[in-house]
Amino acid sequence: MPEILQLDFMVRALVASALVGLTAPVIGVFLVQRRLALLGDGIGHVALTGVGLGFLTGNSPVLTALVVSALGAVLIELVRTHTRTSGDLALALLFYGGIAGGVFLTGLAPGVNSADLTSFLFGSVSTVSEEDVLVVALLAAAVLAVMGYFGRELFVLCQDEEVARAHGLPVRLLSTVIAVVAAVTVVLAMRVVGVLLVSALMVVPVAAAQQLARSFRATVCLSVLLGVLAALTGLSTAFYTDTAPGAAIVLVAIAVFVAAAGGGILLRGRRSRITPEEVSPPAVGTISGTDPGSVSS
Amino acid sequence: MSSSTQPAAPAAPVVPAFAAHDVVVSYDRRPVVRGVSFEIAPGETVAVMGPNGSGKSTLTRALLGLVPLTSGRVSICGTPLRRFRDWARIGYVPQRLSVGGGVPATVREVVASGRINRRRRFRPASARDRAAVSDALAAVGLLDRADDSVYGLSGGQQQRVLIARALAGEPDIFVMDEPMAGVDAANQQALARTLEALSQRGATVLLVLHELGPLQPLIGRALTLDNGTLVGDGAPHSPEGDCAAPGHDHVHPHADADRRPSALPVVEVPRSA
Repeated sequence: MPEILQLDFMVRALVASALVGLTAPVIGVFLVQRRLALLGDGIGHVALTGVGLGFLTGNSPVLTALVVSALGAVLIELVRTHTRTSGDLALALLFYGGIAGGVFLTGLAPGVNSADLTSFLFGSVSTVSEEDVLVVALLAAAVLAVMGYFGRELFVLCQDEEVARAHGLPVRLLSTVIAVVAAVTVVLAMRVVGVLLVSALMVVPVAAAQQLARSFRATVCLSVLLGVLAALTGLSTAFYTDTAPGAAIVLVAIAVFVAAAGGGILLRGRRSRITPEEVSPPAVGTISGTDPGSVSS
Repeated sequence: MSSSTQPAAPAAPVVPAFAAHDVVVSYDRRPVVRGVSFEIAPGETVAVMGPNGSGKSTLTRALLGLVPLTSGRVSICGTPLRRFRDWARIGYVPQRLSVGGGVPATVREVVASGRINRRRRFRPASARDRAAVSDALAAVGLLDRADDSVYGLSGGQQQRVLIARALAGEPDIFVMDEPMAGVDAANQQALARTLEALSQRGATVLLVLHELGPLQPLIGRALTLDNGTLVGDGAPHSPEGDCAAPGHDHVHPHADADRRPSALPVVEVPRSA
């Protein structure tokens, strides 16, 4: 048995990170399609305020982070839809406010040192307790259940919000579901990847899968596979190099993306040789010589 | 056919598919649609026409509640828009496929999503679901591209995917925002045949159109907008809608070319993204 599996805390961390790698891309694929790739990041920063609040009040930082980031997610959604504040400005406010709140509240808390905060910023292997693994498993199950329940509606919403409304779908509710599920995912990933890098695990595997897949279904499956792969490989790397797991996981994910992008270019090149571009109908912008004729503009 | 306000008469009044009463829509307090009223009877095929910026697309979207009304009333099938719930009856075709973040999706996945109101939760697609999707793909001639990514298709093919998505939901009221834009002549003819079949089955079709083109024989009525007001409501007389178009040449009708406006070739101008 390799050394890494003989240590209880490493087994716990590996289980937790596999769950994170599995869950994060499932919500990530909808965030990417809605052009909200940075939403997870914004929520992650807000979660840090929740962690600070947990330190200060003596509650479990995971619990307070869950509440604060879910509220933050709803707030982002409200700001995005009801005010003239542009999406990126609203996110910028959250980034700064979230970090500042987290550092400030942690500073006020007695007996908490910067190492405690750092373990939430970039993840920490050694501090993952059995209870943490249980919480991560429960949250992951909740996220997957909600995504399974609303999946079809979310696909329609993320394709085209107006079409979703013309289908009579509850667009506001579904947007809130996306935001809150993203918040829960941030919190469940927080212990392993850290709040600053959690969003990378939602987005980067999806970006990699996007290079290779043709269907939505395949994109989801492939991004989950790549997410789990990156989480386990990154965590092991962090263990052997004695570095923060978040950084190693994200670097592995980005390496996977680079490889997928290269593979995608090769794949598309081969496909276009096999099936040559559009033969039958004339392309847009051409003049048809056979039509009886009318002027369009 | 517009006797909806009459007290119950012996002959039941026809409930209009769409009724718009004094509809005003504004963007940034600037009215884009200024007090438009009309009714569309079930089974009618109606074009909304007018020059660019005349408010035809905005008016059509307001009928579905996609843009808020500044004032006025809209009802669908006799139900005020706010309380209308029977959305499975409506098939909406937007102007273009929105790319979003570019997560891949196949033609079949997008078309099948049009059945969102017909599918039961947690059930796999039934034989009827699959048949409806295949029929919709066949109707727009994309059955052979079903497993390709929609983002790899040409603009005209993407337009046909959007139409197939609406068809897949088996609605009886279609609202289409410039469905012919970017579609080449051969496929315009094919779509005209599809719409004709829908119309013969009793579907109500409301189309935003820049020009009648091959749909001309189907359109019994055109609502013409200019600068947000309704300036015409009746049978379309062919070249007039195009007169405002830049570069339009006056064409004298020939005895043998009764329904064909001119002998000019189709010049398709791709829309800017």
